[in-house]
Amino acid sequence: MPKFIRMFLVGVIALVAAVGVAACGDDDDEGGGGGAAGGSITIAQTSQPDFLDPALSYTVNGWEPMWLVYTPPVTYRRAEGEEGTELIPGVAEELPEVSDDGRTYTFTIREGLEYSDGTRVKASDFEHTIKRVLNLESGASFFYETIEGATEYIEAGEAEGDISGIETNDRTGEVTIRLTERSGQFINVLGMNFAGIVPGDTPFRNLTNDPPLGVGPYQITESVPNREFVMERNENFDIPDIPKGNIDTITTRIVKSAERQTQDVIRGELDFMQDPPPADLLPEVRSKYSDRYEEHETVSTYYFFLNVRTPPFDKKEVRDAVNYATDSTALARLFGGRLEPSCNFLPSTLLGFEAIEPCPFGDPAGEPDIERARQLIEDAGAAGASVTAYTNNDENRPEIGQYLTDMLNEIGLDAELEAVDGGVYFQTIGNEKTGAQIGFLNWYMDFPHPGNFLFLVDSESIQPTNNQNIGNVSDPELDELIDTVNSGPATDDAVQEAAAEADRILVENSYVVPYGTETVSTFMSERMDFENCSLFHPVYQNDYSSFCLKEE
Amino acid sequence: MARFIVRRLIQMVLVMFSVSVLTFLIFNVIPNGDPAVRMAGKQPTETQIQAIREEWGFDEPLHVQYLTTMEKVFTGDLVSYTTQLDVVDQIVQGIPRTLSLAVGAAILWMLFAVALGLYSAMKAGRFADRFLTVLALIGISMPVFWLGALMNYYLGFKAGIFPNGGYVELTEDPIDWAYHLVMPWVALSVLFIGIYSRVLRSNVLDTMNEDYVRTARAKGLSERRILVRHVLRNSLIPIVTLWGLDFGLVVGGGAILTETVFDLEGVGQFAADAIGQLDVPPVLAITMFVAFFVVLLNAIVDILYAVLDPRVRLQ
Amino acid sequence: MATRDASDFDFEGAAAFEEQAQRERVAGLGPWRVALRRLRRNRVALAFLVIFILLVAAALAAPIWENVAGRGPLANNLSGKVTLDGEEANVVSLDGIPIGPTWQSEYLMGADSNGRDIMVRLLYGGRSSLLIGLSAALLTTLLSIALGTLAGFFRGVVDAMIRFTLDVIWAFPVILLGVALGTALSLGGLQVGPVEISGDSKLIPILIIGFVYIPYMARPIRGQVLSMREKEFVEAARAQGMGPLRTIVSEILPNLSSTIVVFFPIMVANAILLEAALSFLGAGVRPPEPSWGNMIDSGVDRIVTAPHQAIVPGVMLVLTVLSLNVFGDGVRDAFDPRAKVRVDH
Repeated sequence: MPKFIRMFLVGVIALVAAVGVAACGDDDDEGGGGGAAGGSITIAQTSQPDFLDPALSYTVNGWEPMWLVYTPPVTYRRAEGEEGTELIPGVAEELPEVSDDGRTYTFTIREGLEYSDGTRVKASDFEHTIKRVLNLESGASFFYETIEGATEYIEAGEAEGDISGIETNDRTGEVTIRLTERSGQFINVLGMNFAGIVPGDTPFRNLTNDPPLGVGPYQITESVPNREFVMERNENFDIPDIPKGNIDTITTRIVKSAERQTQDVIRGELDFMQDPPPADLLPEVRSKYSDRYEEHETVSTYYFFLNVRTPPFDKKEVRDAVNYATDSTALARLFGGRLEPSCNFLPSTLLGFEAIEPCPFGDPAGEPDIERARQLIEDAGAAGASVTAYTNNDENRPEIGQYLTDMLNEIGLDAELEAVDGGVYFQTIGNEKTGAQIGFLNWYMDFPHPGNFLFLVDSESIQPTNNQNIGNVSDPELDELIDTVNSGPATDDAVQEAAAEADRILVENSYVVPYGTETVSTFMSERMDFENCSLFHPVYQNDYSSFCLKEE
Repeated sequence: MARFIVRRLIQMVLVMFSVSVLTFLIFNVIPNGDPAVRMAGKQPTETQIQAIREEWGFDEPLHVQYLTTMEKVFTGDLVSYTTQLDVVDQIVQGIPRTLSLAVGAAILWMLFAVALGLYSAMKAGRFADRFLTVLALIGISMPVFWLGALMNYYLGFKAGIFPNGGYVELTEDPIDWAYHLVMPWVALSVLFIGIYSRVLRSNVLDTMNEDYVRTARAKGLSERRILVRHVLRNSLIPIVTLWGLDFGLVVGGGAILTETVFDLEGVGQFAADAIGQLDVPPVLAITMFVAFFVVLLNAIVDILYAVLDPRVRLQ
Repeated sequence: MATRDASDFDFEGAAAFEEQAQRERVAGLGPWRVALRRLRRNRVALAFLVIFILLVAAALAAPIWENVAGRGPLANNLSGKVTLDGEEANVVSLDGIPIGPTWQSEYLMGADSNGRDIMVRLLYGGRSSLLIGLSAALLTTLLSIALGTLAGFFRGVVDAMIRFTLDVIWAFPVILLGVALGTALSLGGLQVGPVEISGDSKLIPILIIGFVYIPYMARPIRGQVLSMREKEFVEAARAQGMGPLRTIVSEILPNLSSTIVVFFPIMVANAILLEAALSFLGAGVRPPEPSWGNMIDSGVDRIVTAPHQAIVPGVMLVLTVLSLNVFGDGVRDAFDPRAKVRVDH
């Protein structure tokens, strides 16, 4: 019976091999159950943070952990709402002193401040931190290029070169920064995670696999990319006004499926999920688990960009038509209801926001005016004009793009959709050669200053590649107002007034088509103390250091 | 004998070479656009794009590019530019999962295919046969991703009988491991049970009419003995060949769909995700490795057969 | 049929079947006529052929249904309302949940997440899926005939080269290849010399699917041609001085026709399934244009709150492929109940 046995043997060998290889799979030893008081929790993200290096990380995924591990010279009060936008000293002793011409910032590093391993924090560490941001070509290096000597440093290409605009004194702990021009936003820039101080010997490369030491309530003790990373409480941390964190060990697992994350949180196998539950499961979560689920408005704006340089959107009437026809409540449905309709470009929770009432295009939460839009297009002679609408492949963006294309066709244009992969979307639409006419865009605040949104429509931002002012908006009146906005901190009355005025001009001229602000959620397992221990911060969203377990 | 093996191995190498050239062309040459920009992922800087261009030799003539690419693939010097992770590491992490899925499904489909095929053959032409045939055909007609999604939802999420996707390491908990794999195994095998049960059925029908079976019957051997000793043995041969080859196809094809639906994070899902993000290095590597694996498996099966059945060598 | 006792090991059914087949062969009718007779007797196969024809007709009649339903396959209707039982209901709820089948002319099979009419999309999607499936199968068939015949007839080097090419194609994991090609090509389109095909064109999935399945059909054809070549009628033709081309055309191809007829429905079925798989993975027909595969893809995201979105196109797909498979099976049985023609490697 050789053949029969042969078949049998092949099967057995294959099975044994498979079992053998399966058993060689990684031995996942869960790092959990740390000290006595705090406990340990597991949270999930849908994708690996772009980087776990403070100089490079530029996504919410990355910022939520980075914020807790690295503290910049200034930071934000750990509070909700407007209170959370207040700047407080971080590793600096006091908020920096700003010279009268607005170009010199001086502060002193707190005395006796230590990194998580006990090493002293030195003033010169700050210059090194900024060098890493510039040298590693971080997406944020543009924010630090207002520092004198920064551009020269980059051009010189020497990692250990000197930035002439930063002077530090390790003896006194003093840091002096000189800017090339006055900047109202710089104080916020000093509060970004990129300025989160790291030791002066931190290497000049992407340290995601082995994040550098920092000053913060937590430290990253383990990082297995695409699987998980572990944060443990930093016992050496002691800065007034910055809470120390309750949980001992936070393990962040990368779980690609938002559906499974949601079910795991429901069942208690996961303690918290960073992304909102998918639209398919939201109704169930909202109705059955409202005791541990809450939605928060973010400081974000969702809009369609319009290329004002090329037809048909170079005509105001055509742009107005799009604004009239945009149905915010329809779009809100594509977010599973997680969108707050808005007429303004600036988000309602941003300092400087003033609601535009009445909205020139009708109540954003009301019905669109398709007839009017059609009429405008016809009168402008743009009927049948060929339009390519752009969107990307992430989340609900394809559906948004499909809605947009259909709407443009309905009002008389001849529109087609071009869906580009998320990884190359911004490069594509930001490239002058693409000539994108209209498409999906959104912006989440980097820091609470209206200038951070208005730079998207500043004519000075226009560049041929990696353009962020994709609509090529260029209005002298608007530009002047934006200059005023940038001249001082967000708390200045003049800045806020200019911001509100700029917002109005933007919307009235239909330079952009804003439709709303996204809400995100906090959803926790049962064993977490949802009522007392969950802080949603306006800049950094969910604050893990506020989490705690219920008392037994 | 030795000559046959040598010939077969040379052929295998040639096929592998062609596969590598074809893969290279597909990924680096055919698509329009700048490959360096595509590979660089999100928001790349000019320096990064230039670095990739140099690393992969996109400015060099084609054959140099090909050699560079092959070197990178085979020394494992591949990094996914979107996740910055080593490609071979990730593939190795995914292999146990994909194999668990593929081998389990293969065993399941073999057992059921043999049972159903045999039964069908015995009741040939009658209602039971027709009924099983229709069932088998339904199995063949069902897209595995749809079946999987429905099973996942109705049996996993709603009824809670099975876990809702995900993978548990065998070393962690063998029972849970199997528990998580039951639905994927079933979803993946349905198609193949359909195909194989029918092949077996026709093989059995063929064999049963052979002279030596008639002789055995005439000699008075019991039906059972005839079935087992003669019919089954001979009917299984073509099946085993198909099994060996389809196993490779399962790994390359059905695995992608099943893993994606059940979130098993094996090599297949890794490939699907990478393709979705236009992440070239992982897809390049996986396509090459899977194709090689299939070619290797083919060659082994052929050689094994030649060893055991001299008639084959003469082909 | 006489009843049998419940013994498991019962060969009589099979033997009787065999004898019937033998009798028919001996009767001396030409193979096509015999096949047609058998096919006509196979009620099940015929029934499914009718089903398939109905499905194709429905797909062709898509514009008619569009009129009845009142909207096209791409028309969004997120904020719209529909009247159900005298009451007004949201086509898409504020949570984003689309309405299920209404069994009325508007939204017969319900709506999708953008408020589009699923029935309308289903029929238009059917057009895409059927077009791609049929065209790809045709492409495969033509190329398989060409390659298989050349390999089997000329043997030697030609055969070795063709077999080698088939081996290479066969080595590639079908779906992986299809998805990779689909994604890559849909980005920038395809440029072959002066010919440029846009990334959106249906020609791309047709070419990919058609190409990928060539070995599946070319090998059996080659096998058949190989054995035919040894037969007397070929010898006779050569003796008469017929050139190879004429021999192939007048002697070999007609004898292949039964094989081709048997394979074709199955190739179409496979092509339709592969197209669905590619669209499901995002590499086939791209939204908003409907295809059953991409409809299932967006439906799976909504399977908890709106299962109809995934179930309806899936059922349609299964029905179509099943009817092709059952009919194809019937054709195979009709030509050769002992299924001599099967996938050989």
